[in-house]
Amino acid sequence: MTAGVLAPTTPQVRSRSWIWRNRDLIATPVIVVVGLCLVLLYAATSRLDSVEQRALDPSYLWAKFLQHLWLTAASTVVVVLIALPLGIALSRPAARRIRTGTLAFGGFMQALPPYGVIILLAFLLRFGTTTAIIALVLASFLPVLTNTVIGLRQVDPALIEAARGMGMSARQTLLRVEIPLAVPVMVAGIRVALVLNVGTATLATFIGAGGLGEPISSMLKLARPQAAFVVSAIVAAVALLIDWLAGIAERLVSGRIA
Amino acid sequence: MSEAVQSPTSTARPIVGRPMIALEGVSKTYPKQTRPAVAELNLEVPEGAIVMLIGPSGCGKTTTLKMMNRLIEPTTGRILLDGEDVTDVNADQLRRRIGYVIQQVGLFPHLTVADNVAVVPRMLGWNKNRINRRVDELLHLVGLEPADFRDRYPRQLSGGQQQRVGVARGLAADPSVMLMDEPFGAIDPITRERLQDEFLDVQRQIAKTICFVTHDLSEAVKLGDRIAVLATGGRLAQYDTPSEILAHPADDFVAEFVGGGAAVRRLSLLEISRLELEEVVISSDGTPAGSHPVLAVDGAGRPVAWHHVPGSAQPPPLVTVPLSGTVYDAVDVMLDARASAVVVVDDGGQPRGALRWDALVADLRIKEPSR
Repeated sequence: MTAGVLAPTTPQVRSRSWIWRNRDLIATPVIVVVGLCLVLLYAATSRLDSVEQRALDPSYLWAKFLQHLWLTAASTVVVVLIALPLGIALSRPAARRIRTGTLAFGGFMQALPPYGVIILLAFLLRFGTTTAIIALVLASFLPVLTNTVIGLRQVDPALIEAARGMGMSARQTLLRVEIPLAVPVMVAGIRVALVLNVGTATLATFIGAGGLGEPISSMLKLARPQAAFVVSAIVAAVALLIDWLAGIAERLVSGRIA
Repeated sequence: MSEAVQSPTSTARPIVGRPMIALEGVSKTYPKQTRPAVAELNLEVPEGAIVMLIGPSGCGKTTTLKMMNRLIEPTTGRILLDGEDVTDVNADQLRRRIGYVIQQVGLFPHLTVADNVAVVPRMLGWNKNRINRRVDELLHLVGLEPADFRDRYPRQLSGGQQQRVGVARGLAADPSVMLMDEPFGAIDPITRERLQDEFLDVQRQIAKTICFVTHDLSEAVKLGDRIAVLATGGRLAQYDTPSEILAHPADDFVAEFVGGGAAVRRLSLLEISRLELEEVVISSDGTPAGSHPVLAVDGAGRPVAWHHVPGSAQPPPLVTVPLSGTVYDAVDVMLDARASAVVVVDDGGQPRGALRWDALVADLRIKEPSR
């Protein structure tokens, strides 16, 4: 009886209307699929020499794609594991004095060009995947850190006072009130880091860590721009799709709260 | 008139309880400040009473309230809760025993109404059935139908509904003491009046010990059994019943704070049911009956018009006021209708007597307390 009045809060109706309200999300995959089909059609109809054929060989590309995904995923996970706890610690009132300094240092690291960082690190440490992941972590650390701090700092102080006034400990207040309310902003930061990492991972090839950057740079060196173009288009498609998936995650978590 | 007004109301809601909250020599000096926000405060809140903390901005009333549940730690002094020294006990445990309601309400936007109310019972480890029963009971108490409201989110409620949920949340674990920090301050005046009335109704049922911060003197007079007037610097300027504070301000500060409207405000403390009302004569033909006003009634015995009011050539327009109202209400309707007399009616609409303007400004006769 009252369920009719409260229809918007029943799960079924809400999920249907959620898809309808977010119908704009369909645009990205459509553009990606259509664009990728056109590029592959172009590749299939072009006359490829043996060098180009080797670079565009599906099993080779698939292996490079998996490497690329691994670089992106591993670096993003490391960033989340370090930047989230650090951001939570920095958001505590006790860290008031070091907050600004730490964020400024993060901004400084962010300003370093990833191309230079990745090569300098390779000489400092060693060539290979681990170093590439460290460089990616440095490049995408700041958005996660700042968004964690900002997300937690923007929680209405009245809510924190209410929580403490009812007898929640500082820890319970953080876990049950502050973090749930900061999650949308935190997820937005992770999304930025993810997209940065997909793009920057193309540089990993210069220190022998593979990824989709490898066929691009080799085709450019061998003066095969058509093949380089096809692989670049694939990288762009991957970046767009990952951003799209992260965008869906972001809307799901913020939809519960806003 | 002042004597007559104040004597009955000071016994209207007798407060005999032992002190439930006691502050003993409590001071608070904030870091990097030389002058204390609250200085050497001694205050006892009797069991079952509503004590209003009032004063100008910066007088330390909120600081005082927050020291009671140790959201702010006092610099010196002792806090006693029901006789137990709680100055050094675990603050989180202490706060779970004390209801807390704030002006901004502070409902958690990611939790439903039911989950918001259930926060403290969950921390105390109540089982699910008991929590559900308690949530429904409390939503009923504050006038929100549980079936309609328990699964809503705070953003789906009006400001007044949110504050009701806030009060229900404060009451959730059935604390004996409630601290309320301007809970109705951010609500529109009409809703605020209604919430205040409902709050008094609820308090009659639950009889909690309540400490209530306000900056609104009308609210303090209406809700308070006692009013603590705090002066700048956290000095307790006067602590007494509302009528005593209005009639006999302890010093110039209180007199100025109470202001020029004190005599009018006191009218709202005087219930009509405590007055000797002037007798009215019910008549159908309108013959004057000595010095008593004559009233025409309809078939059900409800007044329809004045036939005659002594002292006025033309009978004034008929206005009525319920017996449960206050003298303030009676004056209000008389001024509004430009009537020199008002008929007091009971719940059934039957006339119980009259109140005349002349008598109001001359001398109100108070019934002897029938005890």
